[in-house]
Amino acid sequence: MEHELADSINRSSARPITGDAQLRAPCEVACPIHTRAQRYIQLVAEGKYDQALAVVRETNPLPQSIGRICAHPCEESCRRGRVDEPIAICNLKRVASDGAKATGLGYDPPAVEFTSGRKVAIIGSGPSGLAAAHDLALMGVQPVIFEKQPAAGGFLRTGILNYRLPKNILDEDIDYIRGMGVEIRTATSVGDDISFDELASEYDAVLIAVGLSESRSLPIPGVDLPQVLLAVPFLEDVNAGRDIPQLGKEIIVIGGGNVAIDVARSAKRISGGKVTMVCLEADHEMPAHDWEIADARTEGIEMVCSQGPNAIVGDGKVEGLQVKKCQSVFDVNGRFAPTFCETELSVVPGDTVIITIGQMSNLSFLTKTGPDVNERGILIFDRDLCTTSRRGVFASGEVVTGPGAAVNALASGKRAAIAVARYLGVDANFGHEPVAIGEVPADVREQIKQAPRRKMPARGTDERLTDFGEVETGLGEVDGRCEASRCLLCGSGARYSQLKCVSCLTCVRVCPYGAPWADKDGFGGIDPDKCQACGICFTQCPVKAIDLTVMSETDIEQEIVVAMATESPDMEFGCWYSQSRVAPEAAFVALPCTSRLSVRLLLNALEAGAEKVFVAVCSEDDDGRFVHGHRQTRAAVEEARKLLEEAGLDPEKIELKFVPEKKCMKEA
Amino acid sequence: MIAAERKPFEQIKLVTDQFENILVVGCNTCVAVCLTGGEKEAEQLAAELRLQRRNDGIGGSVETVTVLRQCENEFVDSIAADVEGKDLVLSMACSIGPQLIAERHPAVRVAPAMNTNMLAVVQKHHVWSEYCVACGDCGIFNTGGICPIARCAKQLLNGPCGGSQGGHCEISAEVPCVWQLIYEKLATFGLEGNLSRIGGPKNWSKSNSGGPRTMKKEGFEP
Repeated sequence: MEHELADSINRSSARPITGDAQLRAPCEVACPIHTRAQRYIQLVAEGKYDQALAVVRETNPLPQSIGRICAHPCEESCRRGRVDEPIAICNLKRVASDGAKATGLGYDPPAVEFTSGRKVAIIGSGPSGLAAAHDLALMGVQPVIFEKQPAAGGFLRTGILNYRLPKNILDEDIDYIRGMGVEIRTATSVGDDISFDELASEYDAVLIAVGLSESRSLPIPGVDLPQVLLAVPFLEDVNAGRDIPQLGKEIIVIGGGNVAIDVARSAKRISGGKVTMVCLEADHEMPAHDWEIADARTEGIEMVCSQGPNAIVGDGKVEGLQVKKCQSVFDVNGRFAPTFCETELSVVPGDTVIITIGQMSNLSFLTKTGPDVNERGILIFDRDLCTTSRRGVFASGEVVTGPGAAVNALASGKRAAIAVARYLGVDANFGHEPVAIGEVPADVREQIKQAPRRKMPARGTDERLTDFGEVETGLGEVDGRCEASRCLLCGSGARYSQLKCVSCLTCVRVCPYGAPWADKDGFGGIDPDKCQACGICFTQCPVKAIDLTVMSETDIEQEIVVAMATESPDMEFGCWYSQSRVAPEAAFVALPCTSRLSVRLLLNALEAGAEKVFVAVCSEDDDGRFVHGHRQTRAAVEEARKLLEEAGLDPEKIELKFVPEKKCMKEA
Repeated sequence: MIAAERKPFEQIKLVTDQFENILVVGCNTCVAVCLTGGEKEAEQLAAELRLQRRNDGIGGSVETVTVLRQCENEFVDSIAADVEGKDLVLSMACSIGPQLIAERHPAVRVAPAMNTNMLAVVQKHHVWSEYCVACGDCGIFNTGGICPIARCAKQLLNGPCGGSQGGHCEISAEVPCVWQLIYEKLATFGLEGNLSRIGGPKNWSKSNSGGPRTMKKEGFEP
């Protein structure tokens, strides 16, 4: 112990200080739209679903849809993932919106006034166009969306199947945006029903957000056979419920991306036959997300990897796909440059081929007055300012970024909204890219309690293949709140003031995770990578040089005041994650753990008028969320009771109680 | 550091009950580091007093302010506005604090909330041990870096006495005999034989026994 302490003191000053408000949780940084995932996860943990949904809506205009289909790069960066498994952040977004819906809260769109007097035409109602419209409306700019399809949603509607994203869910998200006063003119094709130049002259700005609405084909023999289909029209037909008479019983899907997976799973549902995916990439290289590949395999879809299409064989109708061995897909620079063994040929038998090798945009509506496209037919575009070569014409989404996740299209649309607003003289700025805290150091990782990730329940394979009903059924309340309790609260812990610190070394001595440090000159800090936000240093710092970034001392004081404004004479301090209460009738103040209660805060609760203060801990041993957390809580309660007794008050006014039924992370 | 600890609440209450508007003044140096009288403890005592006074039906107010050091005129002067209108200032510093506050703010009554105990070392979190009595004539080079004045119950200069048993002092089995420690320490340098020489008398005039002490360095006055 003493040796460790000396280590802490002798470290160089060139270490992270802490509590730097600029350092954010990695999930928030990784999210292309920087959704405050940690905050909404915490609110889900507390069962405050409408507030959680409001946090999602701060950045995400399509919360229900994205909560089902997001590629969730946040989870890749989740620090819990280095401890056991990442938090199911995407699934918890759905818990928030499902939970809020059950309470009837969080679905009334805000009243928006288009105070700027400016109007913007947005071409395309996919995620990028919708996000831009949503954000522009909030900035007081009136957006009008032009959508050539009969219903809004872009590829979310035409390309993603009901079993992943039910249409009524997408409708609800879009209705919310409509409810803000955003006009969406469906079945209105720019270029046919209204010219691009008309738009440009009638509106103060134009945003091109047309996405990638056309499939690429393959220059191989046999592609003209009637049973050879392209992905986009196929998915449009499936989504529109139209018959696809060419579809046989032995279907070959060319491609290994996420769209190919959707095509394969749809074909399986419609045909009930055999579906085989053929892709250039080796098994481990397939561009589709791992979980999408796993879902497809679960549904009986076969994968033929490392094979390139050579010819579609058949006399008047498809009989199979001749493939050649693919030796490598990318060159040394990582560029797409497949090489084949031309002599190693084989035939995958089948009666239908669906080509799903990529998509391109349709910019045929653009006139000679611009904006310009390059020699490959791609819009010339400034990635920072979202501008095109024509003044007042902006672009966003996959038409300029290329294929990607829906959340990336949202991010692009949101950036374009700011760019357009600035162009129109509306006060808006792009903001700063947040910076994430670092990895959990190995020694701290070992101290974090493991808790398995809650699995998303899904309909059985046999049942789900019979229709296009939603496969995933949602985590539900108990599992959702348990899953939320796994969050490590990254970056929300101790915030340290060098100015107030007197280098007493108390924090260095009491922190179970070794986060605080000091050098021989008394300069110190708290390493945010190590801090777990237990609050023990905060409760013990004698000079109040330490506070907590989330649920600070002031926050707790305010919560006490709010709690005492209720009719209950008693107060319970409990944990965010406990789904049960020790004093159900008492006013409730929820904390990440009662370990962050100082003696003074306990006395303050009585000063604020509480007749009795209950302090909840979740087990009798020292086995709470944080190392030594319960020990700290018990010590604070004992000290407060002692002070009451010496002051002539009844010590029973403060009582430690164990939660009757612990339903959080511990009970996996 | 100077180690001090809060007086029993019963004693504090006897004083504070006589006054209406009270200012609890914390000190963010020695007593903060020994976790008894810094800003946190000052706020905690104030909360305790408010609860007690409400319970006992005593009116008035209990407020707090904390300065970095109550042993500096400038810091003590800086709380003039806080002291204004108060009937009692309750200092949570070592005994220097209430004395200086009384000196700098002559119109207000001042009381100590603390007992000043010792010049101490932090043995571990929440455990302090006396290592120095500020005798003014440090001689620990000859005693292996261990002070027999501070750490021997009899302040013997030529110990140990007959009460040294099994390495412990006769006053308590918890207390090590400092002369045993000195012997063992000198032995590590092969110098235990030095102890057979009787040490000369100590100049106690440099201690508090010689009257109140002052210290100054000349030539650098502003």
